[in-house]
Amino acid sequence: MDGTLGLLGGIHGGADGGGGGDGGGVPSCGSILTNSKEDDTMNDQDMLAEVSSSYPVDDDLELGLGLRIGGGGSNAIQEGSRILRPNSCSSSSSSSSVNITNSSIAGFKKSAIDSVSPPNAASVVGWPPIRRAHRMPILANRIKSERKEYSSRAKSYLSVKVNMDGTLIGRKVDLNAHNSYETLARTLENMFYGRQTIGRSRLLSGTSEFVLTYEDKDGDCMLVGDVPWQMFVSSVKRLRILRSPKSRNCI
Amino acid sequence: MVYSLPEEVLEHVFSFITLDKDRNAVSLVCKSWYEIERWCRRRIFVGNCYAVSPSIMTRRFPEVRSVELKGKPHFADFNLVPEGWGGFACPWISEMSRAYPWLEEIRLKRMVVTDESLELISTSFKNFKVLVLSSCEGFSTDGLAAIAANCRNLRKLDLRESEVMDLSGHWLSHFPNTCTSLESLNIACLGSEVSFSALERLVGRSPNLKILRLNRAVPLEKLSTLLCRAPQLVELGTGAYSSGIRSDVYSSLSKAFLGCKELKGLSGFWDVDPSYLLAFYSVCSRLTSLNLSYATIRSPDITKVISQCPNLQRLWVLDHVEDSGLNAVALSCKDLRELRVFPSDPYIADANVTLTEQGLVSVSEGCPKLQSVLYFCRQMSNSALITIARNRPNLICFRLCVIEPRAPDYLTLEPLDVGFGAIVEHCKELRRLSLSGLLTDRVFEYIGRHAKRLEMLSIAFAGNSDLGLHHVLSGCDGLRKLEIRDCPFGDKALLANVAKLETMRSLWMSSCAVSYGACKFLSQKMPMLNVEVIDENGSLDSRFDSCPVEKLYIYRTVAGPRSDMPGYIRTIDRDRVNTIS
Repeated sequence: MDGTLGLLGGIHGGADGGGGGDGGGVPSCGSILTNSKEDDTMNDQDMLAEVSSSYPVDDDLELGLGLRIGGGGSNAIQEGSRILRPNSCSSSSSSSSVNITNSSIAGFKKSAIDSVSPPNAASVVGWPPIRRAHRMPILANRIKSERKEYSSRAKSYLSVKVNMDGTLIGRKVDLNAHNSYETLARTLENMFYGRQTIGRSRLLSGTSEFVLTYEDKDGDCMLVGDVPWQMFVSSVKRLRILRSPKSRNCI
Repeated sequence: MVYSLPEEVLEHVFSFITLDKDRNAVSLVCKSWYEIERWCRRRIFVGNCYAVSPSIMTRRFPEVRSVELKGKPHFADFNLVPEGWGGFACPWISEMSRAYPWLEEIRLKRMVVTDESLELISTSFKNFKVLVLSSCEGFSTDGLAAIAANCRNLRKLDLRESEVMDLSGHWLSHFPNTCTSLESLNIACLGSEVSFSALERLVGRSPNLKILRLNRAVPLEKLSTLLCRAPQLVELGTGAYSSGIRSDVYSSLSKAFLGCKELKGLSGFWDVDPSYLLAFYSVCSRLTSLNLSYATIRSPDITKVISQCPNLQRLWVLDHVEDSGLNAVALSCKDLRELRVFPSDPYIADANVTLTEQGLVSVSEGCPKLQSVLYFCRQMSNSALITIARNRPNLICFRLCVIEPRAPDYLTLEPLDVGFGAIVEHCKELRRLSLSGLLTDRVFEYIGRHAKRLEMLSIAFAGNSDLGLHHVLSGCDGLRKLEIRDCPFGDKALLANVAKLETMRSLWMSSCAVSYGACKFLSQKMPMLNVEVIDENGSLDSRFDSCPVEKLYIYRTVAGPRSDMPGYIRTIDRDRVNTIS
């Protein structure tokens, strides 16, 4: 019976190591046999005693019979208990985002034991546990949000053309580099007059022979300075510096 | 007087016994029953392909029609198992091609399959019907072409989430015009476009086609064409689900869906355009299975769909569903059995998505048949877990992933021990459990005490000491698979429970504190176990006994140590243990 039923037996093999259960431990070609527990009389006490007595207390085997948390024994266990005691866990406030260091990534080659700061989800291999197929929407999301970010960043450079009456060659000015009419006017004066005005810009104050106007979204010619700056920036298409108020309409 | 039934009668009686567990029991009764049973067993399941060798299987069971094999450990799904680890299907397929000319079904999971093997399958088995490759790799569309061309009676070709080398989409054209037997086709994992006209013709000439899962490359405009050819479909996986705003596409799509009177399951939905969502409105009331886990649509759109599906039994969705969407599930889907909520972006701290523990609590309250949960979220509390446990004592599978490792109860800042303890205490039929969050040894004490039916346990970043592991190994009587990562479990618990390891299928431990010396000792003590040590960094030969091993995989086997390992894996050879210092 033993020959052909060798697969089902399992009476040989690790019996002295605590062969738990007759025929329970051996995989058959089918699925796992049910573990018959009649012979599984060895309880934990016996297990521990058995291990310690048959344990070859060898100088070479530093398995640490005297394993004590925080005491002597193997270094790995010691560090493990040091890092992962409850108080050290709470003090690291793992729920907030933790700065990820390269050392913590390398540390995971061995174990969490070596890293001082607890792992952040973003730095750990294989965490969170998502199968490859389900990482696709994450990538898709990333690409979407990156595109959005890119296009919004592109809008942060807003340059408009500036033409001055009597000057053939126009200029361009970045409106986003300014946050008020005053600075814009100064820049324009610098560009076209090549000099700085002391005090308020003459373009804005109306004391100059020129006046600063802009063409808005509807194509109308408007005086610069009437609306709040942000509203102006969102509706301006181009700037024109025209001769005095008595000048003709912009085309 | 010995009374015994004639063999034919016994065989007939045994034919009604289908569960492997029962078949194994039958074969233990006596020698003649063993003999009769082995000759009439038709279906084999091998949960670990290294637990037994192909020749042992074919020697004992000569008349098998269906074989299912699993290769790599589960954690391979999360990149924890290095390249080249193993799980090669080739020796199995070679042996089966020699011994089982009448084999009809092969199902492989997490195995490495080559084109040569696929070709061998296609030519060796005259009546081959079913090929399922789940999370497999190593083959290309050329291998698929061989299957398509040569398997005359193919009924099911299911590639699940395999990694296929996509050389061309023309493999599908290799199905001969005479092939009309197809019942199930799943090509969702393929990247490149298959020839649409070949697909259309194939679908058109397969009147028994019930399951069709397309890949992303099949455009939405063409979906209605396929549906019109296969109105008998029961499960459909769409391709990309957007097409610009085109009313003609929408109307033909909804018309096509209207024609599918048997449709019960939907999946796919890559790149969803919400305006096309309700094209399948007519199907909603019949739907029992809905997989929106690739659909990055926002909460109000998802909620709209879900509230139309009162018969839903299985729902897979992204965390865009938010608590509000899950409240709708709790109200509308009273027949729900399985819920999976995946994270849309787990790598950023603030996801701008209001999915909290509340969503799961609502579903546990509102859905009395809920049995299986997979839930990714950013915060959890003991009180929520206790509520869930009390609401749903019929849970069979509970997998919770709080995204931040070691995250405590966000209300009390305590560990989640008590919460998970309540789960195992109330859910007496719990078979599968995955833990996360801040956990001490206490949770393992609860698990060891209460989780008697638990078969699979996944642990990460948990516990304080060996006591935790000891509670699990000594208490969980039904434990078959245990996988652990980044926990301070060392030698003590393992060595105190050596016998337990032989009653389990496998144990995986990575980034823990088990020493090389303990592995050697285990291997020496337990000859029926393969103790495999994985170390991608250093040389395994120069290991000191006190060094912690990087990764450890222990499994029971009758096949002895395997010979197909890459250099960085070593089975501790018990014969050499005493000679190595």
